Amino acid sequence: MTVGTVSVLVWLLPLFAALVCTRLRSPGLAHGIAAVVMAIATALAATMAIAVVGGGTVTGPHATWLELGTFTLGVGTYIDAMAAVMALIVCALATGVLVFNAWYMHDDPQAARFPWQFCLFAAAMLGVVLSDNLFLSFCCWELVGLGSYLLIGFWFDKPAAAVDPTYQANKGAGARGVLEAQLSPAHAQLKAFVMNRVGDAGFLIGIGALLVAAVTLGRSGDVLGWQNLQEMAHYVANPTAMTIEQKGIWVTVSLCLTIAALGIFCGAIGKSAQFPLHTWLPDAMQGPTTASSIIHAATMVAAGVFLVARCYPLFPPEALAVVGWTGGITCLLAATIACVQWDLKAVLAYSTVSQLGLMFVGLGAGPAAGGKDAAIAHLFTHAFSKCLLFLCAGAVIHACAGHQDLARLGGLRKRMPVVAYVSLAALLALLGMPLFSGFVSKDAVLAAALGNAQSAGGLAWGPFVLACAGSLLTAAYMLRWWLRIFTGEERDHDLTHYAHDPSTGAKVVLLLLVPMTLSLPWTIGAWLPLPHGESHLPAMVTALVLLAVGGGFALWVFLLAPRGGRDVAAGLARSAAPLHAACGNLWGIDKAWDLLFTRGIGRVLAQVVAFFDLGGERRLEQLENAQERRASASVDGVVDGIAAGCAHLGAGSASLHAGRLGVYLAVAFAVVTVALLWGGLW
Amino acid sequence: MGPLLACVLAPLLLAVACVAVPGLRAARWFALAGSLLTLGVGGFALADFAMRPGADFRLLESHAWSEAFGASFRFGVDGIGAAMLALSGLITAIATISAWSQERHPRAYHALVLVLLAAMNGVFTSLDLLLFYVSWEMVLLPMLPLVGVFGGDQRRYAAMKFFVYTLAGSVLMLAMLLGLWNATPAAGRTVVVPHVVVTAHADAATSTLHGLPIDLSHDGPKLVLVPRGFDLRHLALQAPHFETTNLLGVSLAAFGFLAVLLACLVKIPAVPLHTWLPHAHVQAPTAVSVLLAGVLLKLGVYGLYRVGVPLFPQQAFAWAPTLGVVGLVGILWGAWAALGQRDLKRLVAYSSVSHMGFCLLGLASGTVAGATGGMVQAVTHGLSSGLLFLLVGVVYDRAHHREVAGFGGLAKPMPVFAWILLLGALAGAGLPALAGFPGEFLVLAGAFTGRGAFPWLGGLATLSVVLSAAYLLWTVKRVAYGPLQHAEHATYRDLDGRERWALLPLVALLLAFGLWPAPIVDALRPACELLVQTLQGGRP
Repeated sequence: MTVGTVSVLVWLLPLFAALVCTRLRSPGLAHGIAAVVMAIATALAATMAIAVVGGGTVTGPHATWLELGTFTLGVGTYIDAMAAVMALIVCALATGVLVFNAWYMHDDPQAARFPWQFCLFAAAMLGVVLSDNLFLSFCCWELVGLGSYLLIGFWFDKPAAAVDPTYQANKGAGARGVLEAQLSPAHAQLKAFVMNRVGDAGFLIGIGALLVAAVTLGRSGDVLGWQNLQEMAHYVANPTAMTIEQKGIWVTVSLCLTIAALGIFCGAIGKSAQFPLHTWLPDAMQGPTTASSIIHAATMVAAGVFLVARCYPLFPPEALAVVGWTGGITCLLAATIACVQWDLKAVLAYSTVSQLGLMFVGLGAGPAAGGKDAAIAHLFTHAFSKCLLFLCAGAVIHACAGHQDLARLGGLRKRMPVVAYVSLAALLALLGMPLFSGFVSKDAVLAAALGNAQSAGGLAWGPFVLACAGSLLTAAYMLRWWLRIFTGEERDHDLTHYAHDPSTGAKVVLLLLVPMTLSLPWTIGAWLPLPHGESHLPAMVTALVLLAVGGGFALWVFLLAPRGGRDVAAGLARSAAPLHAACGNLWGIDKAWDLLFTRGIGRVLAQVVAFFDLGGERRLEQLENAQERRASASVDGVVDGIAAGCAHLGAGSASLHAGRLGVYLAVAFAVVTVALLWGGLW
Repeated sequence: MGPLLACVLAPLLLAVACVAVPGLRAARWFALAGSLLTLGVGGFALADFAMRPGADFRLLESHAWSEAFGASFRFGVDGIGAAMLALSGLITAIATISAWSQERHPRAYHALVLVLLAAMNGVFTSLDLLLFYVSWEMVLLPMLPLVGVFGGDQRRYAAMKFFVYTLAGSVLMLAMLLGLWNATPAAGRTVVVPHVVVTAHADAATSTLHGLPIDLSHDGPKLVLVPRGFDLRHLALQAPHFETTNLLGVSLAAFGFLAVLLACLVKIPAVPLHTWLPHAHVQAPTAVSVLLAGVLLKLGVYGLYRVGVPLFPQQAFAWAPTLGVVGLVGILWGAWAALGQRDLKRLVAYSSVSHMGFCLLGLASGTVAGATGGMVQAVTHGLSSGLLFLLVGVVYDRAHHREVAGFGGLAKPMPVFAWILLLGALAGAGLPALAGFPGEFLVLAGAFTGRGAFPWLGGLATLSVVLSAAYLLWTVKRVAYGPLQHAEHATYRDLDGRERWALLPLVALLLAFGLWPAPIVDALRPACELLVQTLQGGRP
């Protein structure tokens, strides 16, 4: 089999599994079949990765989906090292998560629905990864959104947190910024989909701009294919001596490409939960933790990073600056919020947002500084560590009967040793500890950002500084997370007393993923691009210092000080109360969006439009009887007004010939007088 | 008698049979037979165009009507007509199945539906402007009682509004008709045929063009003598002449285009001429709503494709930017109004306004992608809106109200219903892999690559992907998800056999056209290409 054929198989196998699993009612069988199919896909993806990881690229089969006069829209695969490794990661993690989920949902009556929705997502995700043109990427991009929508709403009949007695009884003390009335799976899935669509509108404009560029250049065929996009980018980047007319075309095309880059990044802001569209991701934690582990942590949310990397040639330096700054702001902002979260999944969610921001900082550093390789490397290492952290979080939540309040968990290390140490390994990878995978990739991102800052100077320092600040906080809040859950005394004996490690199958999944958090020659470390350039050493020192300071601080606050009987954390919260409150309130962004989107555009403006269209509800109830019908200053009211005017005119003219002699004489007299006068004047 | 005449005559005869044959059961079988016949002929023609793409007219037939007026029963379909004919048959069949257990006056009801079907088929297959106009107006006759007798509490208001509004919209067409007839001398006129028309329509074997003798042997301008009459193809050949003919102080073309435009904009319906639609939909019974949204709104789009642009290309070209703006306003206004609705049917009605705006924007963009996309959107909107109206009917049958706020958590007692509702909503929101996507994407692609301000219109139209997802999925959430709102809803039965049979074809086609739109696009594209060439030929 050629690599191209394999890539199509890898893409379609999960779809096949999804189709089969929709018909299965037995959760065990469905999980089993899905896991086996995904395992086969993993093996195929591995052969694909081995074939291209040396640096080759393979163009797989391509079919025309639609033919439209000057251009066509196609479906096909394209495999380079980035795509192959990403596909392998998606398949491998999906297999592991399916096995883990068989245990995680063993007492959920709806568990049989999980595998097909999950496989549908996997197929769409592989489509994004392996696609050979932007059109197919966009289609699959939307479909991963569907997978996310379905899985966030897995428990669609759960009530909103505000009226959910279980939530109210168990919620953490510090959950203040959360809009409880809107915190339910049914609302979270809607929010995720619609907020993603905000980004996708930009994405569509980006595609439109590319079409305009292609038409301007007179290109035909699969104009949205990577090949053509690269050629157009090359044309813009290398202006030659041109006539005035050619210059005009060049200006148009280069403008279009800049718009396209920003549009595509707009889509990435939505999908990868960047500021200001990041608020859907923490809400997405309403879905099953296992689904979150791969969709809202490891792969789907990283699709934005992947796509920007795929379209990297299109991004001019100005657009990259926007990417870098957005990433930097998100990185720090999400980290500050994560510091004060009490829900153990919320910490992980904000941590994901923050790490995605870090990847965009890497991308924003530009090709000269090795930004793309650094960001992709961090995408890969983060995928494993964050997926593991989520699975461990799932194990903890399951063991503690659904409780996820950091204030009440504690001392679980003795009851769940496997989960504790596996999550510690994942944690250290995320923090960038030497010998762990994250060390390499985080160092690469910071080195790229530093390199770009040194060469460009000025504003280019922003993303680097923000990323450093974010990394400092990451070390602190992630250690807080782990120390709170696994060390210290049991804070709530009833809650944690029966906690235990998961079943063997689930444990095997966790343990198998541990090596992938290490930076060893035979693991993912072998495939990571090594950081290079002069900025490498200072960046590494910076990263280590940040890790030491942040981590040391967390160790002191959450491990050493409590042993000495001091509650430093509470003291800190008191002394920096306004800052603490601002972080706890999520910087007011959720509430601002709620005011602007949900209430403003969604309710008030829509009702104003509806009112101006048909008039109020009272008018609509009294239409049948002409006497009761109300006048209304609406579009429909004007229509009725015209009709009523015609009716009055008719009634008025009818009264002229109602058989009254006087009226006839008067009219005759008037007509004759007017006629005579008219004739006389003429 | 050819198949297209059968599509018009058979429903009329079956309608008579409905009334004549006693017994309550037979009528619905007659209605189903009429619609399946239409579906068969339309489906066959569509398949033919998909396999052998071309811009020519097929299944041509002509029967004498009035020699003196030059009017005949001329029938023929191109890809667009075939698609519309198939849609008309399919939607009528589904509407018939959904009204299978119609209790009030079933014979009259099905007879009216059959008359409606005949009229719609007449519009979609007629190549004679007089026949087109008669069919166009005849659509209103059965609709008046279908809404005004079989409708809801405020049915008389809604029916009258629909009838008078749309009649007033198309009344100028009659004047246009007379003007066009008058514009040709009794002896006919010799015109130069544009090259694209020769390529698309001329028959080299018989040396004819649309049945008129033409000399193809030389390289010079191709001349043809066009007789006086109402043949749409012959009238289109005289298009340049209409610009210089005077009617009531303006050029015949300016008057004629305005007349067609007004009639079509009311039918589509375009904002701000749309307010008859929510009333008609809310009051109409479910099956009539399905017909109204599924087929009747497409008459407006079809009228522009078949009459407005071919007969008056210069006017169409000049009006295109305005039409684009009207389309965009419809897209956004409809979406926003849908977001503010409390009644499920009214909500779906406004989503129709929004979706039909895409058809207008696509056609106005003057690009192949846009025009084809507009037509694809017209077809797929028929499927998705039909599906949504059927689903509203399903909950109305159980709850006897349509207030969105009165539902919640229906996914528990009615899982199949909830899945299909989600599918319909996602199709309406233009999710790839479902049929709503190709049309919407092509229209946007067309707008972006259009001339002048069209890229900006396209950019603003992308807002609709946010709004449509918001109002449709928010509705799904409020109706199907969350905890069960009322305890008595727990006893609601899921979709029964008849409801499933009505929904199944729509679900299947929404998936099929979404995953593989190539056949229908291939069938529509050549006709749309010719249309775009005609439109661009109208450039001054």
